[in-house]
Amino acid sequence: MSALCKVIQAKLTETPMQFAEVVDDHLDVPWRHFLQAWGQLREEDILKRDDIGRYYIEGGAAEAIAAETKAE
Amino acid sequence: MAKKSFRDFLRNLEDAGEISRIKKIVDPREMSGLAAQNDKATIFEAIEGYPGWKTATALLSSRRRLAITLDCDEDKIAQTFEAASARQIEPELVKDAPCQEVVNTGDDVDLTSIPYPLMHVHDGGPYISGTFVVSKDAEYGRNAGSYRMMYRTPKETGIDLVSPSDMRFYYQRALDRGKPLPIAVAIGVHPFEMLAASYKAPIRTDELTLAGGLHGGPVPLVKCKTVDLEVPADAEIVLEGEILPTGWTADEGPFGEFSQISGDVKWNPVFRVKCITHRRDPIFYMLQMPWENDWLSAPVTEAAGLQALRVASVEPVAIRAPVGSCGYWTLIASIKKRPGEGKNALLALLSVAEVKLAIVTDEDIDINNPDDIDWALTFCVQADQDLVTLSGARGKHVDPSIRAWELGQGGLPLTAKLGIDATIPEGIPRWLYKRIQTYGKDRVRLEDYL
Repeated sequence: MSALCKVIQAKLTETPMQFAEVVDDHLDVPWRHFLQAWGQLREEDILKRDDIGRYYIEGGAAEAIAAETKAE
Repeated sequence: MAKKSFRDFLRNLEDAGEISRIKKIVDPREMSGLAAQNDKATIFEAIEGYPGWKTATALLSSRRRLAITLDCDEDKIAQTFEAASARQIEPELVKDAPCQEVVNTGDDVDLTSIPYPLMHVHDGGPYISGTFVVSKDAEYGRNAGSYRMMYRTPKETGIDLVSPSDMRFYYQRALDRGKPLPIAVAIGVHPFEMLAASYKAPIRTDELTLAGGLHGGPVPLVKCKTVDLEVPADAEIVLEGEILPTGWTADEGPFGEFSQISGDVKWNPVFRVKCITHRRDPIFYMLQMPWENDWLSAPVTEAAGLQALRVASVEPVAIRAPVGSCGYWTLIASIKKRPGEGKNALLALLSVAEVKLAIVTDEDIDINNPDDIDWALTFCVQADQDLVTLSGARGKHVDPSIRAWELGQGGLPLTAKLGIDATIPEGIPRWLYKRIQTYGKDRVRLEDYL
């Protein structure tokens, strides 16, 4: 897993995010590198979605926040 | 008439002053935002990180550009499309194809090598929006349609197959046998191919013959490198692969839908890419949502409406699928009415695809003038006599009012339909509708008095 992939993983474990928000956090990274890192996360099969389309990863605060969104 | 390519089409638009070229280097993340601020179609000539690639977008984001494409007046688009697509011409197979100048297979398959754009704020990922997808079924033959594809990994995309379509049917048949469905995805084809792909042709109709009719000559096809399918030889890019037999199990979306709404997360199959071929200097086509999709839908819906009216023995005068209804959900038609035909016309128009609102007027109403339509709705309609409602017809997921989210994965929605007969009712003397005419208008000229 690339360093960028690990950074995104850590963030999505902490808080659910729309895809565009993840992109905005890494505008300094070449687009192709970003897509490759995102692809690695997909291959790990760890990305979850909440009811409003945000991505999150289980095992941290993001999971509870996403669940609250479902209940609203 | 010779078959035209995507590049011929770009030249046509450019000659008409409808394209602006951006020569400065653009990050792929900036393409959507820049295109949205441009009244013209845009070609990005230099893309950061993608040497040799260009992107073209918003090519059909107005009725004028559609009329240029079909080489007709704006009010004759439906009739021109209907006449041209009716003369079906078989495609022809060729050996050498520009779309296969570069071939990448195996480990070289990498979707990140394409300037895959992020288009909208709430999209679930980058999308390829302007696709011409070819599939085949042993019993029903070749099919072509257009399906969006969300980036997942360098070798996989999500593919939107929630709505009923021939390819969904083909996929279901393959899935029932536990098999993948091979497909080929051409990107950067002439709009005639895209129009044909949008057309709700009866199953067993090869959309490429409709495209041939629009071109006035056969569409040249080339055999794919890794799947038993053929694609337009002059395409810019082709993705070959298969839809995996996993069913509707992968998250896909939201995407800025042709309904002009962001939509929600859907459950869809996954497309695994086995081969990417393209021209040496490829132009990626970023179909601008919703406008290009809506303007592509309009002539298809309008032509289907004209055909439905004729089958119902009603003589149409004009027809319009307004862009406010995405060129898809509403049909307004004026007719030469005989007794009872206002209602017959409504039944015909409501039979078209997912049209959920139909309005029929008399021939003297200008259906391109909203004020004229309002007049007819006000003075020709009695709500207890001139409305037709139907329940339980086929609907479309992207319409929030049909509560599609309650259906679960792979469920198909139903919709209600409304028809409004805004023709002068039977039994009311026509002289009661005599419009005001200014006295003496034909005898005097204002400029003689100014």
